[in-house]
Amino acid sequence: MIRNRFSLVAAAAALSLGLSACGNGGGGEGDGGDAGAPIKIGIIADLTGATGDVGTPYNEGMLAYIDHRNADGGIDGHKIEALSNDYAYEVPKAEQLYKQYVNDGVVAIQGWGTGDSEALRTKVANDELPFMSGSFAEVLADPEESPYNFVVAPTYSDQMRVALNWINEDSGGTGEVAVFHHDSPFGEAPVADGQAWVEEKGYDLGYQAYAMPGGSANYVGLLSQAKSQGAKYVVIQNVASPAAQVAKDIKDQGLDMKVVCLNWCGNELFITTAGADAAEGHLLIQPFAPVTSEKPGHETIAAYLEDKGESIDDKGAAWVQGWSVMDVMAQGIAKVLDDGDEVTGPALREALETMGPIDTEGLIGDGTVEFSADSHRGSTSTGVYQSEGGQMVEVEAGARP
Amino acid sequence: MAATATGIHHRSYTSELRLRATKAEYFRLGLTLALLVVVPFVLDNYWLSIVNTILIAVIGAVGLNILVGYTGQISLGQGGFLAVGAYTSAILTERYGVPVLLSVVAAVVATAAIGIFFGLPGLRLKGLYLAIATLASQVIIEFVVRRDPGGFLTEGAGYIDVARLNILGWQVERSTFEQQWYLILAIITVLAVVAARNLFRTGLGRSFMAVRDQDIAAEAIGVNLTRAKLTAFAVSSGYVGLAGALIAHYTEIVSWERFTLDVSITYLAMIIVGGLGSIAGAVYGAIFMSLLPVLIRTAAQQWGDAVPVLKDQLPAVQNALFGAVIIAFLIFEPRGLARLWQRAKDYVRYWPFRY
Repeated sequence: MIRNRFSLVAAAAALSLGLSACGNGGGGEGDGGDAGAPIKIGIIADLTGATGDVGTPYNEGMLAYIDHRNADGGIDGHKIEALSNDYAYEVPKAEQLYKQYVNDGVVAIQGWGTGDSEALRTKVANDELPFMSGSFAEVLADPEESPYNFVVAPTYSDQMRVALNWINEDSGGTGEVAVFHHDSPFGEAPVADGQAWVEEKGYDLGYQAYAMPGGSANYVGLLSQAKSQGAKYVVIQNVASPAAQVAKDIKDQGLDMKVVCLNWCGNELFITTAGADAAEGHLLIQPFAPVTSEKPGHETIAAYLEDKGESIDDKGAAWVQGWSVMDVMAQGIAKVLDDGDEVTGPALREALETMGPIDTEGLIGDGTVEFSADSHRGSTSTGVYQSEGGQMVEVEAGARP
Repeated sequence: MAATATGIHHRSYTSELRLRATKAEYFRLGLTLALLVVVPFVLDNYWLSIVNTILIAVIGAVGLNILVGYTGQISLGQGGFLAVGAYTSAILTERYGVPVLLSVVAAVVATAAIGIFFGLPGLRLKGLYLAIATLASQVIIEFVVRRDPGGFLTEGAGYIDVARLNILGWQVERSTFEQQWYLILAIITVLAVVAARNLFRTGLGRSFMAVRDQDIAAEAIGVNLTRAKLTAFAVSSGYVGLAGALIAHYTEIVSWERFTLDVSITYLAMIIVGGLGSIAGAVYGAIFMSLLPVLIRTAAQQWGDAVPVLKDQLPAVQNALFGAVIIAFLIFEPRGLARLWQRAKDYVRYWPFRY
């Protein structure tokens, strides 16, 4: 009897094991050829590091876009599954996150800084993962150097060229330019190209670069160096907070200098941090349309935020930037699905290269972004704004170098 | 003082000099080797990549412990020496076409030479003064690789791309990248650890320890202080240079951002937590300090929704725990993980007696 009972229990156990094994197998097949399977995207974000002041809204914008798109049914029925983690602007942490995302089976990556985008450049090429980031360094736009990187807006170097063209005109052809830059690959990215541009165009501009020491309470020392250079223009390639400090110091010292902020400091955060007074009259090179410029693309954002009980007026250019970059990637994914292909890295890359102009509804540069197999520079046009009465006022739309 | 194994009788000097005497020790050695063999088969690529970075950190930590733990010199220049190794190997391979094996050897030699140079103040300075002098080496080397005067190092690009590892025509494959690197790194690390372990059974290694314990007495018994200190700097930097060269070829890109003062501090933390003056301690410390941030991040991803601060302030939490761990070890067990492990073993061996 006991033996019988034992064998019954054993048989039941074996049966249930066997059934559960079958169940697993059946479940896997039962998914039905990936219909509606989520599309995984890895996001490497700086929320608390050296560039966290603009990195945080950029990340929020990106996640908001994904939320909006998913609420709208996703891309062709596929939800976007975003894995987003803070790497605090440290390259080794970015590499670890990257490897984790690859292991988790993402099809594309949204990165952030120049140093880490450059460090991951060869890896994304090897792993065939399209990579967009908050870095617009020139090397990332060249498919020969970085075959899987895409730069959706004009590169830092293009922005610098636009800035120098403007300075040349504003100064009547003879000005002194001091370039204050973040002490990192991000900061140094456009410096040499700017110098080359001055020579190429034959501008009679003095040009000198200064690294901005991190964590400085003020930049009076740097400004006095610029003053002895005779600089009337200070081009800043840094994030908003330190650039705002420079603007404050210029005002406090009573210096006659005009700040020209590129991308990451050319935003509302620069104006609010410096104060409308100290920011007054400074120039902002910003490829991503700030909310005040009221482009058609802002309407979607406004409607989404209103649903959430928020207002678009509280969001700056960096937020819009995150939203727009994610939008470009999503449009590429939509193209892959439209073509009836499976969403993979190589398929997304090909879609982005061949799909022609991508409409950003005025949010990036002159509104369209276009990649090709020869160039991953999405756009060369940028808006030029001036800080007037605490607002970003458009001086020129779609300026090109 | 660690309890010595009672009941073990040696019949010859050779037997007494053996690294391992008891069966338990051989058993643990076998277990470790088995673990090393099994690891690439059970871990996925992500965790294997973490193991690979740990293996490199082990080499660096062992190198630093030779200098700090065994010779009593202090070095805050670890990040800089790693950079010397990485840049030397990368430049030789990429620009001058030197085979990887030779360029790695050259990196070890070059870093040892730079180590000797920056070790010179150690002949006159001790303790805090030496710490600040070696801090200068970190600052100077970091300044050079960061500013790259004349564009010699990176030819103006700011970084050096390193081609996929290719040894005598055999190239690491993309699909099994982590597995193949694991094999290479595991072999090199085991060799490096065994070499370091044996170093302290030689006259040279003992002279290092004599310098650490009491340099005047060491000199009185015939230790050449100058030679001992500079050799310690050379050997230690050589190890660090090897780790740097491996970082260059493993990560396939060299840029200054990876070799900052933070790295020097992390390595010091590794040997403090692991145990100063213990090769095993350096290994434990490297494993522990490399895994800590990864585990915290994994925890944050698991429980981030329940404890939002963990996820929102992750890097801050990681830094805070990093500091807390060092403080805890300095208070509760200054001799680190190695000593904790020793005590655990003693407890088992002498149970039910306390000693």
